[in-house]
Amino acid sequence: MLLDLDRVTSYYGKTPILKEMGFSLPEGQCLCVLGRNGVGKTTLLRTIMGLTDRTSGEIRIDGDPIGKAPTHVRAKYGLGYIPQGRQILPHFTVKENILLGTFARTDGRQDVPELCLSLFPYLAQNLHRKAGLLSGGQQQQLAIARALATNPRILLLDEPTEGIQPNIVAEIGQTLGRLNKEFGITLILTEQHIKVARKLGDAFLMMENGRVVARGPIREMTDELIERHMTI
Amino acid sequence: MTSLDIAPFANALVLGLSIASIWLIAAIGLTIIYGTVGVINMAHGEFIMLGAYTSYALQSSFGLPFLLCLPASFAVVALVGLVIERGLIRYLYNRPLDTLLATWGVSLVLMQGVRLIFGSDPKYIAVPEIFQSNVEVGFASLSVFRLVVLAITALIVAGTAYLFYRTRFGMQVRAVMQNKEMAASFGINADRVYMTTFALGAGLAGVAGSLFGVLAIVLPTMGTAYVVQAFLVVVVGGGTLMGSVAAAGLTGELQSVFAFITNDTFARFLLYVLIVVFLRFRPRGLFAVAKGRR
Ligand SMILES: Nc1ncnc2c1ncn2[C@@H]1O[C@H](COP(=O)(O)OP(=O)(O)O)[C@@H](O)[C@H]1O
Ligand SMILES: [Mg+2]
Repeated sequence: MLLDLDRVTSYYGKTPILKEMGFSLPEGQCLCVLGRNGVGKTTLLRTIMGLTDRTSGEIRIDGDPIGKAPTHVRAKYGLGYIPQGRQILPHFTVKENILLGTFARTDGRQDVPELCLSLFPYLAQNLHRKAGLLSGGQQQQLAIARALATNPRILLLDEPTEGIQPNIVAEIGQTLGRLNKEFGITLILTEQHIKVARKLGDAFLMMENGRVVARGPIREMTDELIERHMTI
Repeated sequence: MTSLDIAPFANALVLGLSIASIWLIAAIGLTIIYGTVGVINMAHGEFIMLGAYTSYALQSSFGLPFLLCLPASFAVVALVGLVIERGLIRYLYNRPLDTLLATWGVSLVLMQGVRLIFGSDPKYIAVPEIFQSNVEVGFASLSVFRLVVLAITALIVAGTAYLFYRTRFGMQVRAVMQNKEMAASFGINADRVYMTTFALGAGLAGVAGSLFGVLAIVLPTMGTAYVVQAFLVVVVGGGTLMGSVAAAGLTGELQSVFAFITNDTFARFLLYVLIVVFLRFRPRGLFAVAKGRR
C-alpha cells in the first residue's frame, strides 16, 4: 500500500478532532473524502502533513512510518499538499510559488517542471506576476502547480473547487483526472461537489464527527448515503 | 542662499550620509532578526560590543590586521548567536514577552562576562594610518575610515539583499516569513532558517562592533550607545531590509541637517520628536508589509 493510516487520532490542543481514522490507499487510486462542514476532512489532510498539534496511531508511506516526522520531512516522501483556501504566497511571483514546491524534491532538481507549464498555460505566460493578484481559479491552478513541482506520488487536495466559478470547476476536475489517470498520481480529495467526486473517485470515505461512517468503492456512494450524511 | 553657504550645507549632507551608514550597519543585523525570526533582540547592542572585543582581542594578542578582524568578528559573534539561539531563543519563539526578557538577560550576562575577562577600562582598536587621514569629498572633509564604514555598509547591504532576494536560501527565508506552515509543507525546515538567520544577524552586529571600536572606544557598555539608533531604524523602516536602508538614510540626513542648523543635542531631540509623530501616523513604518507570522 502507498499510504496507510492505522487508528490515527489527531488533536488540536487537548481536543481529539480526528478519531481512530484508518484506511489503506493503493498506488494510483483516487480517494474522495466527504462529509458536512466541520466533520474533520481538513484535519485529516493536515494530520497526514503533520500540521496538527498531536497525533497518535501510525501513518505509513510505502511501509515507512512518518507519523512522528516533522512536516518538512514528510513533504519529501512525495506528499503534494493543496490546502483549503489555496494558501499561495501572495508576495511571491507565480514562478517563486511554483519553485517553492522544488524544496520538497529529493532528486535535486530546482527548476519549474515542464508539466506545470503545459497543464496551466495561464501560469506559463504570467510567471513574473505577483501571486496575490491572481483570481481564485488562477490561484487554485497555482496551488496545484506548486504541489506538482514537488514531484509528488500523492496529491492531498482540500476542496479544490471551493469558491471557484462553476465553468472552471469542470476544468479543474479534468486536470485532476488527467493527473490521476495519465500520470498515475494518487489522489486524496475532499470535495463538496458530488459530481466531481463521482467522476474522479475510485473509492470514498464518508465522515461524521471525526470518524468514518461509511466507505467503499465510489459506485456504492448512493444518493441515500449522501442525503443522510451531507445534507444539513 | 549664496554660493558661500552651500559648502557647509553640502558638508552636512555628506556627513549625514556617513551618519546614516553607521546607523544602518548598527541596525542591519537587528533588522533581519526581527524581520525574519520576529524576535526583538535586546542583546543586539551586546553582540555589537562582542564584535568590538573580538577584534580588539585578535589584534592585541595575535596582531591580526584590522581588515581580517572584520570577518573574524563576524564568525565569532555569529557563533555566539548560534549558541544562544539553539540554547535559549528557539524554545521561546511563540512567546514574544519571554523572548524580550530572555534576550535582555543574555545582554546582561554578555556585558558582565566581558567585564570579567577584559575589565572595565577602555580598549582601542588600531587601524592602518591611511584610515586616519582625511579626504575631501566635494565640499566636505571626511576621515578615510568613515568612507571605509560607508563602503562596508554598502557591501553588506548589497550582499544581504543578494542573499535574501536572489538565492534559494533567501527564498526559504521569505517563504517562512509569509507562511510557516506552507513553507514546511513544501520541505523547508523553518527551524534551521530561524537558526541561520539569527546567527547571520548576530554576525553582522559583530562586524558593526568591530567598526565602532575604531570610531569610538571599546567598553563593555558600548552597545547601549548604538542600540537605540538601531531600534529606531528598524521601527521606522518597518523591519524590512530596504525599509532600514531608507530609514537610516532619512534619519541620518535629518540628524546632520538639524545639527547644521542648530546643534547636535537639539538635532537629536528634534529627530526623536519627528519619529514619534511619524509613528503616530504610520505605526508599521515606512513600508508596511502584511505578515502572517506564526
Ligand atoms: N486549528 C484548530 N484548532 C482547534 N480546532 C480546530 C482547528 N481547526 C479545526 N478545528 C475543529 O476541528 C473540527 C473539524 O474541522 P475541519 O477539519 O476543518 O472540518 P472540515 O474540513 O470537514 O470542514 C471542527 O469542529 C473545527 O472547529
Ligand atoms: Mg475543510
